[in-house]
Amino acid sequence: MRRRAVLLASAASAAAILGGWQLGEVATDGLTATGTPTVTNASAGSADDGTGGSSGSGSGSVDFNALTPKGTTSGTGGTDAGGTGAVATTVDGTFEGPTVSTRFGEVQVQVTIAGGAISDVTALQLTDHDGRSVQISNRAEPVLRSEVLQAQSASVSLVSGATYTSAAYLQSLQSALDAAGFPG
Amino acid sequence: MAMAFLVHDARHLERPSRRLVDRAARGTRRLWRVDVLQALAVASVAVAIALFLADGGATRFADPGAALTSLGIIAGLVATDLVLVMLLLAARVPLIERAVGHDAAMALHGRLGKPVLYLLVAHGMLLVAGYTAADGIDVVAEVVTIWNLPDLPLAMLGFALFVVVVVTSLVTVRRRLRYEVWQLVHLLSYAAVLAALPHQFSVGGLFVEGGWQRWYWLVFAVGSFAAIVVFRVVVPIATSMRHRLVVESVVPVGRPIDGVFSITMRGRRLETLAASGGQFFIWRFLAGGQWWQAHPYSLSAVPHSDRLRITVRALGDGSSSLARIAPGTLVALEGPYGIFSEAARTRDRIALVGAGIGVTPIRSLLEQATFRPGEATVVLRTTAPGDGWLLDEVADLCRSRGATLLTVPGPRGRGWLPDAAEREGLGLAALVPAVADSDLYVCGPRGWAEQLIAEARAVGLAPEQIHHERFDW
Repeated sequence: MRRRAVLLASAASAAAILGGWQLGEVATDGLTATGTPTVTNASAGSADDGTGGSSGSGSGSVDFNALTPKGTTSGTGGTDAGGTGAVATTVDGTFEGPTVSTRFGEVQVQVTIAGGAISDVTALQLTDHDGRSVQISNRAEPVLRSEVLQAQSASVSLVSGATYTSAAYLQSLQSALDAAGFPG
Repeated sequence: MAMAFLVHDARHLERPSRRLVDRAARGTRRLWRVDVLQALAVASVAVAIALFLADGGATRFADPGAALTSLGIIAGLVATDLVLVMLLLAARVPLIERAVGHDAAMALHGRLGKPVLYLLVAHGMLLVAGYTAADGIDVVAEVVTIWNLPDLPLAMLGFALFVVVVVTSLVTVRRRLRYEVWQLVHLLSYAAVLAALPHQFSVGGLFVEGGWQRWYWLVFAVGSFAAIVVFRVVVPIATSMRHRLVVESVVPVGRPIDGVFSITMRGRRLETLAASGGQFFIWRFLAGGQWWQAHPYSLSAVPHSDRLRITVRALGDGSSSLARIAPGTLVALEGPYGIFSEAARTRDRIALVGAGIGVTPIRSLLEQATFRPGEATVVLRTTAPGDGWLLDEVADLCRSRGATLLTVPGPRGRGWLPDAAEREGLGLAALVPAVADSDLYVCGPRGWAEQLIAEARAVGLAPEQIHHERFDW
């Protein structure tokens, strides 16, 4: 290769890689900023949100970027499977969280509350865009479920190697808990 | 003892005058295309990595498991990219062929095989390591898990096929194989790529989501395969059908023992082939037992009205049966290829140096090259004085066009000249005084040509002044 070709190739390659890296950083800002993000921020303001029931109806998917602190809080209304509407006190019943989109697929959980405690968490949907994602979510799901049951909260650490699945799982769970008025 | 014979001297004819064509500018444009194409090839690797990074950024390297997995995926992506580049290089895309030249494109194609193999091995090993670290289970269990991923067995088959293709292309192995066997095995590389594709969809998730990555790979892969189909299948068939070339005569050249033949062919509208002197075609003689053999041979005469001619030496088993080709045999052709032609010129002066049957493209290039009397020199290495295939024709052309012709007879030496001549201090600069400001065209056996090219570099020729094409693939 002549020097000119080397220069052209280096410039083009450097631009491509830097650009790619930058795009990746912007898209995943929220995830990398805190290392192990918790999803507690997602519940901000929802407990006393009087219009929760109406605003939440039909919000099928929440952008994954809503995990960031600057993210919107209006997407927290889960469909209330209990049928009693969102109220600020804990109600026994089964609550579906919203569908959370990640780059590996969509995640949605359903929580069962009995006697004021989280008695069960069921994954209705897990990241399944590709074969590897299915493997990862199948591994992460039982871990997350048992941790949540033990902590009685959505504030548990992410499963390593399953960051996206865990974060989306916990976000959907938190919204479901908020809808139930669960103090977590 | 005479070391070189001056058959025709035209050197005194040279006159300083205005340039015929702005060769410097034309040569510069071609070199720019070469540089841009090379830069694009390199940048495609960077783009493959960049698209991966754009989809996840630093989170892809958050913990050791993720980092290993990411490196493994990058290795796979780069391998995919290089395989597609290899396909494009072998696809006879006119843009690439005219800028870089057929042999340089194929040389790069050949050099990429082993790196791709290493990348694929790294891809597998890094992913096993990364998945193992992430899943927290032992390697054996992880390998079983991975094997159960969708389309993984198919991908492994693709890898095995690729190994076969690369191994049969190693120089030592390839020498033992018939060209046709090797070529047949080489077709497996298409199967290898196709077998590897499904797991990129189903496991890699490369193409599942919208966005740039998906479209980039889709366009790149479809484009590469389309280029192969168009330029290696559709265009050659169309060319062959349009020109309906048939063998007119097969005439021995020189002594019968030499096994050299001129094959003249007749066809329709040969001027639209746009073939120029020094270029080659890949020929198939459509006769029983012959049609499946493809021969790359240079034109020994530029196509005129309805005739063209090649001159071949019966070396391989395929070439010797060419002597028995019957007049009237239909010929399929692929080409014209190569930039051993006017297309590569960078200077006004031109020096053509050939050895043995390497005189063939020199003969047709001499016929068509642009130069004024005195600006061209032909040097032919022969075994004995007065020997040399097509020597009479070359001498006639030199006389009519005002080119100098030298022959350097003698047995094969350590360098490109006979040993006796080298001892006398004979060299390229002595034979062609103005060679440093000339385009030098070299055609002959590989080792011989390498010696000559080394000497040309030593006497000050820049790489872009030296034109040489290899056929011994």
